Amino acid sequence: MSGIAVTPEDDALVRRPLLLGIRRPLIVASLAVLLLLGISFLSLMLGAVNLSASDALTGLVSNSDAFARNVVWQIRYPRVLDGMIVGAGFALAGALLQGVTRNPLADPTIFGVTAAAGLASAIAIVADRTIPQWGIAMACCAGGLVGSGLLFVIAWRGAVSTVRLALAGVAISAFFGAAIVGLLASSRTFLQISLGFLAGGMYGTGWVDFRTMLPYFIPAAIAAVLVSGRLNILALGDDVAAGLGVLTDRTRLLILAIAGILTAAAVSTAGLVSFVGLVCPHLARFTVGADNRAVVPISALYGAILVTGADLIARLVIAPSEIPMGIITAGVGAPFLLYFVKFRA
Amino acid sequence: MKISVSRLVLNYGSRVVVDGVSFEVPSGQMVSIVGPNGSGKSTLLRGMARLHKPHAGQVLLDGVDLRSMRSRQVARKLAILPQSPEAALDLTVRELAWRGRFPHQGPLQRPTQPDVEAVEFALAAADLRGLASRPLGSLSGGERQRAWIALALAQQPRVLLLDEPTSFLDIAHAAEVMNLVRRLNRDGLTVVTVLHDLILAARYSDRIIAVNNGSIAFDGSPRDVLQPATLEPVFGIPMTVIRDPETGLPIPLPKATCI
Repeated sequence: MSGIAVTPEDDALVRRPLLLGIRRPLIVASLAVLLLLGISFLSLMLGAVNLSASDALTGLVSNSDAFARNVVWQIRYPRVLDGMIVGAGFALAGALLQGVTRNPLADPTIFGVTAAAGLASAIAIVADRTIPQWGIAMACCAGGLVGSGLLFVIAWRGAVSTVRLALAGVAISAFFGAAIVGLLASSRTFLQISLGFLAGGMYGTGWVDFRTMLPYFIPAAIAAVLVSGRLNILALGDDVAAGLGVLTDRTRLLILAIAGILTAAAVSTAGLVSFVGLVCPHLARFTVGADNRAVVPISALYGAILVTGADLIARLVIAPSEIPMGIITAGVGAPFLLYFVKFRA
Repeated sequence: MKISVSRLVLNYGSRVVVDGVSFEVPSGQMVSIVGPNGSGKSTLLRGMARLHKPHAGQVLLDGVDLRSMRSRQVARKLAILPQSPEAALDLTVRELAWRGRFPHQGPLQRPTQPDVEAVEFALAAADLRGLASRPLGSLSGGERQRAWIALALAQQPRVLLLDEPTSFLDIAHAAEVMNLVRRLNRDGLTVVTVLHDLILAARYSDRIIAVNNGSIAFDGSPRDVLQPATLEPVFGIPMTVIRDPETGLPIPLPKATCI
């Protein structure tokens, strides 16, 4: 993080293998996976109808209890998987954007990529009410690429000041956001869906979303991990990076495109969720240090945890009804942002 | 490894900054490029390092055009330390040096023994072993500059290009950095340095190229180039040159016009 003096001893402590020769990022990742599995299992159990742990497990692995089987496999299990992808998508996009813009406030939502994908999907839905999920996904991808393309134009040489880039992002975000609201309000349909979409939520998501996201989320996530080393080099400035053999503009464009696709995957399922992409990379850096090769995959895990956890809470607070999950992530993310601005930025 | 520049033209937009420059730096030579502000010397160095796309002409490494090589391939042979690189203040010295292994590593490759050896060699050569775990933000200007040189050395280059490595350094830190570079050069590294300081250029070069208005004004040994007759037209002021009593090397000075 910012110029905090680290004594040589601290430094050695952080970098030395912690346990049985295993390094810190692996330990953190293992703990995060355990937490994610725990939240996922709770998500299978709890909801409008609560299942006991053994019922949920039975429903997951066997056909013996038709009711539990139905609740787990038709509703909760796909929704948990969707939540993991949504969270990982936003968090990966945030980690890539923070790295490529060298801006600690970068986040797909703050920088308008989310709104761009959301506007495209809103246009698609309003234009064709019966549009299949893959059509929405394609619209989201197109919108996400436009949003990240705009960022590329603004951040062209990578030397744009933090403040200017953030302001430009806010402007893009506000513009597309207003267009979305205007479009949905004037179409006089889907008020129920619109609220979930605008606030961001997992209501009614299922296997269709999962099957639609997976084919492009997986390659984009793998690409994100593969380019993470180059973020470390870009962080040294364009001249040093070019001297080390990174084609800086092409690399920036590639990374922004990957971030656009990952955002699109998340938006196509969950709508306009905020703060996941901002918070998770910071938490990752806080726990595993500044090396993007660790920060990027760890961010994905944290994103999955945050969204599945927030969705679980969103389903429980006024059960059997539910609130949009984005309210919970904003409730966690906004105080974090304030803390960050006050004490770290 | 030798590096040559052949009829190189570098533009900023439509403005010609380097105008058809040709020269060759033989393997193991240490060359300083001097010249007034805006003469195009930094742009020339950036062009030599493929950081500035040539409008015309070529840069050749051992006779091979840089543009015919992949950028990573170039980075395994040629390293550049740009002028005052942006501070990555939270990185430790060793982490920074490790970044120099990028051109040698695949995206998911674990560090290899040669990687470890190259980094440790770079840290030792830059005399940074004791500071390896310190973040850059806690170092002095000279130490920080040595850390950036360690990054370049970890690339295991055969040619090292430096853009004003001593600017913002006091005389002791400047000497510290130049001594390091000269030592590496004595071990066979080809070095081209853009320098403002003519006294450092005299002391630490085999050859000096004076650039003015995008062209080479003079090219020769320090004794030949650092003469009032060559410096005055380049810098546009009256100059005087005295001799270092110890080495006999020329020490150029601006002539006092108002004391």
